[in-house]
Amino acid sequence: MGTYIIRRLLLVPVLLFGVTVLIFGMLQFLSPVERSALYVRDIPKNDNAINGIIKTYGLDQPLYVQYWRWMVGRTDTVTGKRTGGILFGDFGYSRTASTTVNNLILTRFPNTLDLTLWAVVPVISVGIWLGVQAAVHQNGFIDQAARIFSIIGTSFPTFVFGLLMLLIFYANLQWFPPGRLSDWASQIVYSSSFHHYTSLLTIDSLLNGRLDIFWDAMRHMLMPILTLSYISWATFVRVTRSSMLETLRMEYVTTARAKGLPENVVINKHARPNAMLPVVTLAGFQVITLLGGVVITETVFNYPGIGQAAANAAAQLDVITVLGFAIFNGLILILANLVVDVMYAFIDPRVRLS
Amino acid sequence: MPGLLLDVQKLETTFKTPEGVVHAVNGVSFDLKEGETLGVVGESGCGKSVTMLSVLRLIPSPPGKIVAGEASFLGKDLLKMSSEDIRHVRGAQISMVFQDPMTSLNPVLTIGRQLTEPLMLHVGMNQKQADARAAELLSMVGIPNSKERLKDYPHQYSGGMRQRVMIAMALSCNPQILIADEPTTALDVTIQAQIIELVKRLRDELGMAVIWITHDLGVVAGLAERVIVMYGGYIIEEAPVKELYANPQHPYTLGLLGSLPRVDEDEGARLFSIEGAPPVLYEKPAACPFAPRCKWAAEKCWKENPVLMNVGPEHKAACFVDTKTGRYRS
Repeated sequence: MGTYIIRRLLLVPVLLFGVTVLIFGMLQFLSPVERSALYVRDIPKNDNAINGIIKTYGLDQPLYVQYWRWMVGRTDTVTGKRTGGILFGDFGYSRTASTTVNNLILTRFPNTLDLTLWAVVPVISVGIWLGVQAAVHQNGFIDQAARIFSIIGTSFPTFVFGLLMLLIFYANLQWFPPGRLSDWASQIVYSSSFHHYTSLLTIDSLLNGRLDIFWDAMRHMLMPILTLSYISWATFVRVTRSSMLETLRMEYVTTARAKGLPENVVINKHARPNAMLPVVTLAGFQVITLLGGVVITETVFNYPGIGQAAANAAAQLDVITVLGFAIFNGLILILANLVVDVMYAFIDPRVRLS
Repeated sequence: MPGLLLDVQKLETTFKTPEGVVHAVNGVSFDLKEGETLGVVGESGCGKSVTMLSVLRLIPSPPGKIVAGEASFLGKDLLKMSSEDIRHVRGAQISMVFQDPMTSLNPVLTIGRQLTEPLMLHVGMNQKQADARAAELLSMVGIPNSKERLKDYPHQYSGGMRQRVMIAMALSCNPQILIADEPTTALDVTIQAQIIELVKRLRDELGMAVIWITHDLGVVAGLAERVIVMYGGYIIEEAPVKELYANPQHPYTLGLLGSLPRVDEDEGARLFSIEGAPPVLYEKPAACPFAPRCKWAAEKCWKENPVLMNVGPEHKAACFVDTKTGRYRS
């Protein structure tokens, strides 16, 4: 198991190198002037000043020099101050958000993470349970109901479902508002008495002992959570069901029954672990998609996550910001895959011991 | 006179398929005495496995369904008892070994876990006792280093070793009947011989009855006392093993015996084979199901499906024609 994980970890820098090369390649579509936003906030209008910046940051140098500078940044020889350098987490300046891309990610990503956690945990647990039940009682009530919901879930566009939710729960019933927090809650959260332990609003509010803020955050998140889980839940049930059906046909399941084991042991201890591999893969994909920012859902509910920020930036051709997000996304993708690989090894001894 | 252990009467099993209802087992009756070894032979798809799985109610349902018959085990009908009661028979009193050891062990559970399960369930051992017994069982089937190997997973065992594990698992609770469903088909010839020897030895040591399902008449000759031959979901011949080899009565049995390769044959000679393929029965046949492939088939064979009839002492066959004379039996 140890060597398996080490081998996977060694792959991480290689993959990251690949991601950065790709994105660096895309950056080359920008003119040197536009690329200077990687290092300076305000791009001057004056030609001389622009040429100075291009010289200072080597934007007219050969590609490998530029790549290296893009990675480690430029350290001023006099002041010793470093500007740029994505290895240090400096992705440049976002002109649409009027802050560094870095800062933008730091403020937006916790919101997306918060949403993802609350959407993914119920989806995975309920989805797996329903999928197993549907397979065990094939063509039974749960199976039929799950199938109908799956079809609706996969064929119902997010924005339609989201809009429907808004119409019912916001416009008509006024139960759940869009956005992130009510004004009174925002004032408390951004006051000095509120400690930000994890940056995840729901968890921080619990840690601060403010159940009222937790509830307020939840009220704002419930509609996006439902929208997200409804869509991915359908896929989850389908994959779990088919994987479980296949496993139930395996001979070792008959062996387990022939041993006289009770049916719940046969299903939960013998069949289900074997059916989990494709489900883990799917879970990895889902988490990656959600963490990358769910553009439509966040936009529909005006939820200040990373997807909404990316959509804003893209709409205004703020390439520096978009590519910053792309690097960040690549990092998440690599890490999530690592987690999936480790979980594989955890479930399947054939992976662990080979 | 040893007592009757298992008495199966008129067992019928069907499978629902998109093409229609397949009659897989059609009124099969046989019995098994204490300590006896019964061979069940026939081509793939003749219903031999389904018969045995039906007895333990292990056929997947749906699509499978046991539509009629009884299977009396020590006076109790296995087909009518509650699912809770039959669980206590499976693995404890009647256990099974399957064809393919590569797929019949669970890949994500340790061998130890899989071996101790029936011990804790049926014998009521605790984990420690069961571990000790599982190690004993592994040694009994000839796996060295048994204590360490309990921690291994199936993929760390070879095919032959896995079949040994399956046998150890099947015998763990000292069953009265061991049903071996083609346990050597998926193995190399040398390993086959080892597994057969192993089962023989354990059968004699533990005194259980064995039902050995196979399509290899050669294997049956050295192992069984009595043989039943199945075709199209019917038993078409039943005889003590020596009698069956010396004096086969059904044309199908003759064909099976004829297609065995022999050491004393010319090397260039073509191996005999029975023309055609076994039937898939969507309805119960009105004629002899073997008639289309039978060179003795007479007029009557196309009009009526023969039932098992006595053709000698302890010898029954389901055929109208006496293959020695080519005429109807009197």
